[in-house]
Amino acid sequence: MAFPSYAPTSRSFGAGDYAYKAFQSQSGKEVRILYGDKRTGMTLDLSYDNIPDTQADDFVAHYDEVKGGFTSFTLPAAFRTGWSGNTAAIDAATGNQWRYSEPPAITSVRPGISSVTVRLVGVL
Amino acid sequence: MAKVYTGRDGRLLIDGTEQIKVSTWTLTGNLEVLETTTLGESQRSYTPGVQEFNGSATLLYYKDDAGRNDAATALKKVLRVDGVSSTDTATLRLRLVDGDTNSDVELTAYITSVSFGASVGEVSSAQITFQATGALTAVTI
Repeated sequence: MAFPSYAPTSRSFGAGDYAYKAFQSQSGKEVRILYGDKRTGMTLDLSYDNIPDTQADDFVAHYDEVKGGFTSFTLPAAFRTGWSGNTAAIDAATGNQWRYSEPPAITSVRPGISSVTVRLVGVL
Repeated sequence: MAKVYTGRDGRLLIDGTEQIKVSTWTLTGNLEVLETTTLGESQRSYTPGVQEFNGSATLLYYKDDAGRNDAATALKKVLRVDGVSSTDTATLRLRLVDGDTNSDVELTAYITSVSFGASVGEVSSAQITFQATGALTAVTI
């Protein structure tokens, strides 16, 4: 199954960075070497508050499907719900896909209702 | 027939016994709601959460000819030397009477606070507050 296509209640995106390494000489002068032309390491935290348990378990099913943090995947457009800027700006940049950086966390709120938190990282 | 309820119609039963000399009772029901608003929505939406019921009552500190003192019985739900255990609940039935027809709400509750005192020129009374535990056991309003 694909990543659950539900609108999140909150979303936090980190843009990641390009692969480079900084070398500092004894004089203090610094040289930076760029190792890649693609930004990577984006972070995406999604919260789905007070959703039915039958939706919450979809996240675990997907986690199983992609073998946890082993396989990368793409996200459905629903994760961008409410975002009116460039759609690519908060998605995995070109060449990247998402991977779980932590297992989905499910907090039971009341019988039949749970909140889910998903943490993803963009990888090349 | 049209009916306006007043304090004259009010009754309070604790553990099945109609209390004597009750001057007030109130019951409040609350429903916690859980927000389900998602990104992209302009209006907040909610789903029902848990409910709670609590209230208060005032009983005159009154002893009848047989020595029965309901206020004292209620006070002793909290004012006691051996502490309160989980089984120290009371069944409260809050009632409005219309002839032979009763409008009742019944609940199981802990008496959570009591207060009473004596003042010059005033009748002594006991104020109790209660917190229901679990669901209402009867609603016939």
